[in-house]
Amino acid sequence: MFFKQIRRNAAHNRRGNGLYFGSLIIAIVAFYTLLSLKEQDVMQFLSTIESDAVRKLLMLIPGVYAVSLFFVFFLVYFACRYQMDSRRREFGMYLMLGMKRSRLFLMLLGETLWSSMISLLIGLPIALLLTEGTSLATGKVIGLGIIGHTISLSFDAILWTVCGFLIVQLLSMLIICIPYGKTEPAKFMYTDASSKQAPASSAASIIFLFLGIAFLLLAYYIGLFRLMNQDLLKMTAYFTAMLISGIGGTFFLYRGVGGYIGRHIAKKNHRSNGLSTFTGRQVQESVLSQHKALAVSSLLLLVALSCISYGIAMGAGRISDSRTTDFSVIGTEKEVSSALTEASVRDMVETSYPVYLSRTKTEFDTRQIQSELLQIEGAENEAESFHSDYILSISSYNSLLSAMGKKGIKLADNEVALYSTLDESSLYSYYREAIKKGLTIGINEKQFKLLSEFYSDNIVADRSITLYAALIVPDSLFGQLASNTEPFCWNLHLKKSLTDELGLMQAIQKMDTSLNKTGLEYDSYLSGIGRNLFYAVAASYLTIYLGILFLLIANTVVGTKYLIQQRENKHRYVTLLMLGANTEGMCRSAKKQINMFFALVLGVAVCSSIVGVFVLFRNFTRLPIGTELTTVIVLSMIALLAFILTEFVYISVVKRNACREIREIEITDRG
Amino acid sequence: MTNNNRILQVESLTKTYGKGSTQTEALRGISFDVLEGEFLGIMGASGSGKTTLLNCIATMLKPSAGKIILHGKDIASFKGTQLADYRGKEIGYLFQEFELLDNLTAKENITLPLALHGISGKEADERIATIATKLDITDVLDKFPAQLSGGQKQRVAAARALISNPSIVLADEPTGALDSKNSKILMDKLAAINDSEQKTIMMVTHNASVASYCSRILFIQDGSLFHELRRSAQKETPSTFYERVMTVLAQMGGGSANVL
Repeated sequence: MFFKQIRRNAAHNRRGNGLYFGSLIIAIVAFYTLLSLKEQDVMQFLSTIESDAVRKLLMLIPGVYAVSLFFVFFLVYFACRYQMDSRRREFGMYLMLGMKRSRLFLMLLGETLWSSMISLLIGLPIALLLTEGTSLATGKVIGLGIIGHTISLSFDAILWTVCGFLIVQLLSMLIICIPYGKTEPAKFMYTDASSKQAPASSAASIIFLFLGIAFLLLAYYIGLFRLMNQDLLKMTAYFTAMLISGIGGTFFLYRGVGGYIGRHIAKKNHRSNGLSTFTGRQVQESVLSQHKALAVSSLLLLVALSCISYGIAMGAGRISDSRTTDFSVIGTEKEVSSALTEASVRDMVETSYPVYLSRTKTEFDTRQIQSELLQIEGAENEAESFHSDYILSISSYNSLLSAMGKKGIKLADNEVALYSTLDESSLYSYYREAIKKGLTIGINEKQFKLLSEFYSDNIVADRSITLYAALIVPDSLFGQLASNTEPFCWNLHLKKSLTDELGLMQAIQKMDTSLNKTGLEYDSYLSGIGRNLFYAVAASYLTIYLGILFLLIANTVVGTKYLIQQRENKHRYVTLLMLGANTEGMCRSAKKQINMFFALVLGVAVCSSIVGVFVLFRNFTRLPIGTELTTVIVLSMIALLAFILTEFVYISVVKRNACREIREIEITDRG
Repeated sequence: MTNNNRILQVESLTKTYGKGSTQTEALRGISFDVLEGEFLGIMGASGSGKTTLLNCIATMLKPSAGKIILHGKDIASFKGTQLADYRGKEIGYLFQEFELLDNLTAKENITLPLALHGISGKEADERIATIATKLDITDVLDKFPAQLSGGQKQRVAAARALISNPSIVLADEPTGALDSKNSKILMDKLAAINDSEQKTIMMVTHNASVASYCSRILFIQDGSLFHELRRSAQKETPSTFYERVMTVLAQMGGGSANVL
């Protein structure tokens, strides 16, 4: 009988409150996704080549897990409180009918455990599907799709998910239930929780509002104009000042905005029609009583948006790293060609060519470039320090281009081209801008025409060498200038049939084993991409994960805060019905309240995020080199759409709940 | 008295709660008329059905049988907008616990019924000024309910019930939550408004001194009309009327005692 009741109550909770149940499932999915990270294809692959870095990342996971436990706790806590609050009358009845408090507690405990079990049964398969999906999708996007995908089921992850989820659920239930031990039955049955409208001193409100706006603007100002080009100490000081004034400003703003709404309503009161005054006062009351929750949610949203933007940009940047060659073997011509004749190696190689890259002792006359650079804003430092002491033969570069399937460069005997691989995107645009007009460069008293195009395709498999500024020169000139006329290294391209059959990664790994036997020194695309992928996955995955978590928590807090408020003030809607308001009018009012409530949170968060993201990208991280702007824009648009969609879904769910409750109100509910 | 100034007719009104063996009859076919400008009191013991009667007229409850006709229309047939309009325009309701919206100022509470029916601006301002003067609440219009005393709250509630100029004001124990001094102030004001504007008021109470302000009192016992008292406005003072009310109440007590 007791268990039957527990099951029935739990089922009722689930049906009646999608918000509650939904957040439980989100919690499970969040935990599993994080904990199963090491089973993901990308991670499995990375750990074979960058085991040390991956190990470090995986050591981070328990920390991130603890942080997300902490935040998910809030999510579940608010959802549970909303759920429990709606059943206070029922609890009062149980007590009045002679149920012992211990039994009531046991009943709630039983319900929690039962709901947890059902949530796990639904949530875990969803989490599994989702992680498999992301595993495949990331693999595909990164060029890994080729690896034989195996379904990964992590029992450790499941175990920890279940533990974490139960801890979070039981803890929030306990915190909610402990005060019930002392609550009188009457308090349960007649909820008169409406905190009396404190006539917030209008003057104080306005002061808070102005302080809030001033502090926020100060934070924006520091972020936009003061953080740039500072040494570490000053930057830390400014950054701290920005954080303090930003957080303080947000809190002050929400503290003050309630009073402002009140003034606004009072002014337009005699012109208002229908429920507009009521709607406004409801919003004002929510803001006044919940200003702290609003500020926290708004700041959480800001963190969420910044995290997601950062994650997307990092991911997009690293992913777009293009493959130029598969292997760069270092050795004499004799050593390399003997290695290439070995059957195991030969069968896999499509093309191989020497890379003639060398230092030169000749001083170039680069005054024209320098004076052009000097005229470009921000490039003064580059103009001063510009020098070039590396040369690259045109035939090597053209071999690279043709192996990649690109068209070669035509270089006449009196022409040279500018080349750089420095991982600094602004430098590229300075160079492009400077050489656009067609400059000349002096080599050994002779003027050479500089091609107006700028080149940056990586000439070796790994990014192990960085050239600040080198010249691509005709082969004959290379012979005259080079300090070392031996090839720098030999580039190998794998056969297309092989990469198609095995997948790029496995093909490279196979070649790797063969080359290893020859005893030659070499770099592979794999180790280069390995490092890049590691950054991509680590930075994107974790930041996007945390971002989404914060987004969901902020929304759930705002949504449940509103719904709890509405339920506590249910009697107002009964009075409105008596005064001749109709149900649909009240639903419209509730919807307006929800829109305004969410808009208040979102407005500040979005404004701050725009500044926040700007600060983030200008001062703390750069978009990785070679990041295609269009990719970032497309991804940002997708993220923005997803964000709008998330908000839309949340707002609709809250509206639906609110309207359902209003429609259930009967005029006889009074008292 | 002609049918013309009869604004509310209650005909064989029955209300039953529950079904089958648990069925209880709260109202057993009550019939009476309410005349324009009348101050009608409904008295009876707890459970006699007086609040059920008021709630049926207020459309808070649906009658099981019988008719409630206001200005010739059966209100039981009202639905949707018609029902909302009836609640907002035709009746004003005064609750025992005031039921002011505590997040709205007094003025906003009072103008709410007007706003709901699209009356705003100058007309609303004029109406509120008049009614606030009559009920002596001009000074507290910009305050929130939490800043008002019980008596002020109930007068604000009365202003809200009167502002849309309803055909009839229904009051359910309006002094139930007030002390005797504030009860007297409220009743004096209501009586004055009834007298000067011929506003029809129908009030449920079990307090004889409050009931003595009425011009006519219906006594209900076990869901049926038991007795009716009329005060002669010219001859009778409230105190002599009070004596008569007390006598009937004693009879009612005696009556049931005899039956038992």
